[in-house]
Amino acid sequence: MKNHLLTLLLFFCLSAFGQQTITGVVSDDQNMPLPGASVLIKGTTTGTQTDFNGNYSLEANQGDTLVFSYVGMETQEVVVGSNSTINVQLAISASELEEVVVVGYGTQKSKDLTSAISTVQAEDIEKTPAAQPMQALQGKVAGLQIVNNGSPGESPTVRIRGVGSYNTGESGPLYVVDGGFYDDINFLNPSDIKTISVLKDASAAAIYGVRAANGVVLIETKGGTFNQKPEFRYDGYTGYQIAQNVVKMANTQQFVQYINETGLAADNQFVDNAIARYGRSRLDPNLPDVNTDWYDEIIRPAVITNHNIAMSGGGENAKYSIGVNYFSQEGLLNMKNEYERFNLRSNIDFNVTDWLTVGGSMVLSNASKYRPEASAWRKAYYAVPLLPVHDPLNTEAVPIDYANSQDLGYRSSQNPFSLLSFSENKDKIRNVMANFYAEIAIIPDRLTFRTAYNHNFETIETREVRFPYTMGGNEVRVNSELVKRNATISNQIWDNTLTYDNSFGKHNVTLLAGASFRDESFEMLQAKGIGFPYNNGEQAYYLDQSQTIDVDAVGDDGRREYGLSYFGRIAYNFDGRYLLYGTFRADGTNKYQEKWGYFPTVGAGWVLSEESFFPQSDVVNFLKLRGSWGKLGNDNVASSDGAFTSSVVTTAFGDVMYSGIQTSSAFTYLRWEVTEEYNLGLSARLFDSNLSVEFDYFRRDTKDAVIPVARPLVPESLRQNVGQIRNQGFEVALNWNKVVSDDFSYSIGGNFSTLDNEILDLGGQQYLNFGSSDFQRRSIVGETLFAFYGLETTGVYQNDAEIQADPIAVDNALVPGDFKFKDRNQDGVINGDDRTVLGSFIPTFNYGFNVNLNYKNWDFSLAALGQGGNKILNRKRGEYRYTPDTNIDRDFFINRWHGEGTSNSYPSSLGLRKPWNYQLNSFYIEDGDFFRIQNITLGYTIKNDKIPQTRVYVTAEKPLTVFSYNGFNPEVADGFDNQTYPVPAVYTLGVNIKF
Amino acid sequence: MKGHDKYIVLSLLLIPLLFGSCDKLDEPELNNNFTGGTDYTQTQDMLLSLIGVYDAHNDTGWELPLLIGVRGDDVNAAGDQAVYQDTDQYKYDSNNWMYNSVWKAYYDDIVVSNTAIENIDKYIAEADDSGKKQGEQYKAEIKIMRAMDHYFLAKTWGRVFILDTSDLSTLAEIQTLPTREEVMQFVSDQMDEAIPALPKIRPNQREDLPGAYTAYTAYAVKALANQELENYQAVADATGEIIKSGLFDLYPDFYELFKTPGKLSDESLMELQYSDYGQGSGEREAHLYAPYGPSSWTPAVSDASSGWGFYEPSLKYIHFMLDRGETTRLLTSVLFTPDGIAEIQQTPGYETLPDFVSNTTPDGDVINNNVRALFSSGKHYLPSNQLIPGRTDYGSNKNYIMIRYAEILLMYAEALTRGATGVGLTADQAVNLVRARADMPPLSGVTTQDVLDEKFAELAMEWGVRFYDMIRVDNYQELSYQGRSFNADMELLPYPQQQIDELPVLSK
Repeated sequence: MKNHLLTLLLFFCLSAFGQQTITGVVSDDQNMPLPGASVLIKGTTTGTQTDFNGNYSLEANQGDTLVFSYVGMETQEVVVGSNSTINVQLAISASELEEVVVVGYGTQKSKDLTSAISTVQAEDIEKTPAAQPMQALQGKVAGLQIVNNGSPGESPTVRIRGVGSYNTGESGPLYVVDGGFYDDINFLNPSDIKTISVLKDASAAAIYGVRAANGVVLIETKGGTFNQKPEFRYDGYTGYQIAQNVVKMANTQQFVQYINETGLAADNQFVDNAIARYGRSRLDPNLPDVNTDWYDEIIRPAVITNHNIAMSGGGENAKYSIGVNYFSQEGLLNMKNEYERFNLRSNIDFNVTDWLTVGGSMVLSNASKYRPEASAWRKAYYAVPLLPVHDPLNTEAVPIDYANSQDLGYRSSQNPFSLLSFSENKDKIRNVMANFYAEIAIIPDRLTFRTAYNHNFETIETREVRFPYTMGGNEVRVNSELVKRNATISNQIWDNTLTYDNSFGKHNVTLLAGASFRDESFEMLQAKGIGFPYNNGEQAYYLDQSQTIDVDAVGDDGRREYGLSYFGRIAYNFDGRYLLYGTFRADGTNKYQEKWGYFPTVGAGWVLSEESFFPQSDVVNFLKLRGSWGKLGNDNVASSDGAFTSSVVTTAFGDVMYSGIQTSSAFTYLRWEVTEEYNLGLSARLFDSNLSVEFDYFRRDTKDAVIPVARPLVPESLRQNVGQIRNQGFEVALNWNKVVSDDFSYSIGGNFSTLDNEILDLGGQQYLNFGSSDFQRRSIVGETLFAFYGLETTGVYQNDAEIQADPIAVDNALVPGDFKFKDRNQDGVINGDDRTVLGSFIPTFNYGFNVNLNYKNWDFSLAALGQGGNKILNRKRGEYRYTPDTNIDRDFFINRWHGEGTSNSYPSSLGLRKPWNYQLNSFYIEDGDFFRIQNITLGYTIKNDKIPQTRVYVTAEKPLTVFSYNGFNPEVADGFDNQTYPVPAVYTLGVNIKF
Repeated sequence: MKGHDKYIVLSLLLIPLLFGSCDKLDEPELNNNFTGGTDYTQTQDMLLSLIGVYDAHNDTGWELPLLIGVRGDDVNAAGDQAVYQDTDQYKYDSNNWMYNSVWKAYYDDIVVSNTAIENIDKYIAEADDSGKKQGEQYKAEIKIMRAMDHYFLAKTWGRVFILDTSDLSTLAEIQTLPTREEVMQFVSDQMDEAIPALPKIRPNQREDLPGAYTAYTAYAVKALANQELENYQAVADATGEIIKSGLFDLYPDFYELFKTPGKLSDESLMELQYSDYGQGSGEREAHLYAPYGPSSWTPAVSDASSGWGFYEPSLKYIHFMLDRGETTRLLTSVLFTPDGIAEIQQTPGYETLPDFVSNTTPDGDVINNNVRALFSSGKHYLPSNQLIPGRTDYGSNKNYIMIRYAEILLMYAEALTRGATGVGLTADQAVNLVRARADMPPLSGVTTQDVLDEKFAELAMEWGVRFYDMIRVDNYQELSYQGRSFNADMELLPYPQQQIDELPVLSK
């Protein structure tokens, strides 16, 4: 069949008349032949590639234009005349300016852009040993904030140019993978990605209209190349992940000293109980003979492995790329906590005729994730060091003799091992991403119609198992429990576009018109079984083997939404000097009461360096000024909040269950949030184009921001479209690239961005509270979102004289070692009126830099990044108000006030237990600044004719992070650190083989 | 394919586009919110709204009854909660999370109630006469629960909002808050409105919803509100209605009244109901009783969970009971630890204690020492041998009594000692009914003080009855005990800071 098809195609090709065979050599400016250069007859898909010696041969008519191109070289066009031999020399491309950038439903040349788009290439993505592609972008793109999540298989938090939406969970960008829309791309294998383009400003993103308010990330998966001999690649690495910056906790000696200092009878009694139960330390008879480092107990080194096999290539009419990937990663938490993913991928394009191209790409991803019991991190922070992991005296403990601190008198059991040993949370995630298209050249090279259908089908099967155990006290689980939850997500998009591309003299125009239909559905069903025969292993993990089905835990949910959009784009330039750009999108949805939203953008650019008056020099090779304005929508907010919804409740009357309904009267319809953004930029290439400079200033206003407005008196709040939030800042990216010789080249790059987040309006209110009143976060007009709001600490009372001299201290019966708070309104009383803004979780600046060196067979790269200006609420330290039975971190122990002059910023041991001191104040708010060596890679390429090209490399990912914050990790997405999963350092050894 | 095929293919591709799916936008977004189409002609469904309100009222945070009750001289804050202990010591802090949580819990219940009443009104508009009557009854039941919320709010904070609508938009405009007395009058008036619509039976006689509230519950709430207003004739009248109905009886076994056998007894007028539904696993309605439980015990049935030890009967109460020669009520109200017994004996005159003062409960649970609490509350204790096998949570399946007939009798008796006219039963008779059940000898010629003492003995640890009695009679001396010093400024809690932030009227 295949042969028939080829014959048929051949027939069509040959049926043209007047053809002759053209041959020649393609070489570079040094006259070195270029193997693999592309030769194409313009306006067709007919073409070939040069062989190893740069020779080519193809059939063409007189008058045809041959297009010669090669990566990194200027493309050249030659009209076929009478001569059947055409040799060409290609000049080295001036810069990456000729590079084609993906802009959404099309492409543009980098030099013609009027908006802010940053593109990251495959080789930079592959350097990071991680399951999630976005992790590789950390520090590489100015204005992009990536906050890692250390747990395997979890996606990082991604923010483009700050937080525009009040609900931080809804501030993630839209991912467009080969045309399909995704909220999350953790199913993708990083090495299947060809480019990631971050559309940062509204002008670039506006073509995606309603989904684009928080920025758009465009992802192209790898495809083949026409007329390319098959390329086989194997990439693999394996390595260890090691927890970094583990918080040091007080050891038993320090803990007991702290307890002694509090002078609290109960707490000292518990220490004595520990001595009685576990014996005395031989080193210090006042201590129990236990010294547990809980973090040490629950953290393990973990393995990470990746294997990737890919083949790509193409003939005259078809190109292909297929790949297989296996990735596995263990978590640092010492339980069944791991992630495993197997991906299959194919990408095929086929020129059916000279006017019809069809193709398709598929990714099949099959992952299983064992989620951690994340609260174990928190428990390990709190567990006292004088409790051992195991306690043979705890005879009640079954099946494992875990120690229970209730046996010492503490209120809770503290030991985190019950979480680790008796739970298992499995997600089986299957993801199919299919994308098929047909493209018709209505007028060759001028007018193209493209229709593309994209389907993302995802199922998540969750199985949560809880095994029965006893630890004594109140830590008992009698029955095994099993929760099964199946979720199905099916998102379909059908895009149709018409693209017109032409030049009239010096006028160059690209027009695009399109329509897109979207159908998104979600279904979920869950049930919980109690008392299944867990001893029989996995074959018993079925609901129908349970003794009881918990009716209350049965859940069923679903959602279906449709969207219809029309959009258009005009990109015009005059002589490469004056650039104009505009898009318009009309988005319709059945989600909101207001069905249609309209999202326009305009942009303009002026390439000064093309002007005749611009001095020609080697210093400034290219200079462009650009500006844009655009409007975007965010439909990531629910269609309504509260709602006149009823929920079914059950309650008992006379020990019989009755169902009832609770109706919430709180209801608002919501509209899409609208974002408007101005962007002013400058692009330049300097010093023989070795240095590229990108500068952008942006101002992004979110209007109609959906904000939770607290309902007075009652717990809930109701979200309404009432706010206006501004993010503004500038971004600079500099890159120096230099090829010194054939043996040595290097590049150095850096980026820096600032961000200023400000609330302009809250629907007439001066402020809105957020979160619990104990750890108040408040959004105030003129301040940043969710600022920490509390008392300002001015010091610690040092002695009685100081207490006596201060009426506030006397009134509140304070003692030395208690905090001094600033009486802001100077009324002689410390109360809620003295609170003030203590900082924001949003970093005010981010930076990154990287160095790449290539010398002979060696390559070396280093990337680093950092951020600053943000604050973290050390919520872990705030726990004492609820449960004082906890350990303290070593930093607190060392720095605590314990006598005059010992500290003017930390309270005393007893002070830690006093309500006065744990009112939210600046002590609990810490700096979130950090600097990190993100990645160091050293590689050696074996170039030997006898074996395939092989590169061996070692990588250290995140080997060093420097910060002052008292936690594992200053990367806390919302600045509220209750328990973060540590981000590991990853050391890997890898190999790339290519032939 | 030939050149013109291009246009055929193109048109084929364009046809579905042109006749595309525009109409999909007019389909409603499919999601799991189903009320849009409540059919109010299905008038029998109004029962569901009523049950929803009962559920909301049963669903009480653990901190609520603790905060309401802790300031009395019958009980102390124990355990490790500093802000809670400060409250017990009359040191109030508007940042205390418990204040805010309790405030919001009451108003949340009120809003749920108001929404349900508004919903039932819509059913009533569609209903026939019997349906209308049914609806009015349900509304009256909801008004009882809503009145109780207002009653506790006003007792705790004094001036509070009266809220009888689900529309909260006008709250910010309120310039002055009603006084405590105005709120109590509102509660009383609401009960007058409710009573005619309610059945005149005991709650446990309700066949539709066993234990749901009746006219007598409304009378009880009316009596409570009028007691706060010191309108003792109204107290006598309302309690008199309950007494003369002849429907109510004291449950004979005081110890078991607070345990499984005492669920929905003939003594009960208002009871929060919880249940394991007779099953060892699976769904349950539960209150978190752990805060009341001893931190350390050796239960007769292994695996029964211990508690947190937050609610400690005071030494003063125990001495008071021993002085009176109380047995049943002391045994029922207090769980003793060995250290606690030793502590009682420290006081001269108490060296020798009756045998029942033991750290082993009548059901064989052994209460162990914990340095943070000498005693635990016995009325909130469910013996481990009454747990349904498979259940381990402290107090699982136990109901929470809010108003019982004994309190009615004692309120009636006090009103009579203050000069109110009764319904035949004398103050002596009322008090002696209560005493007889507790194996205490009868009194004659009871005074107001006798009744207050009787209430202390009978109702200790229950819903702050003791604390608010002492405030009502301005007996600050009783509240100044074990190192505490009480004055008039300490009667009310400060408004929670978060509420002040949101409703500036509260800062006035």
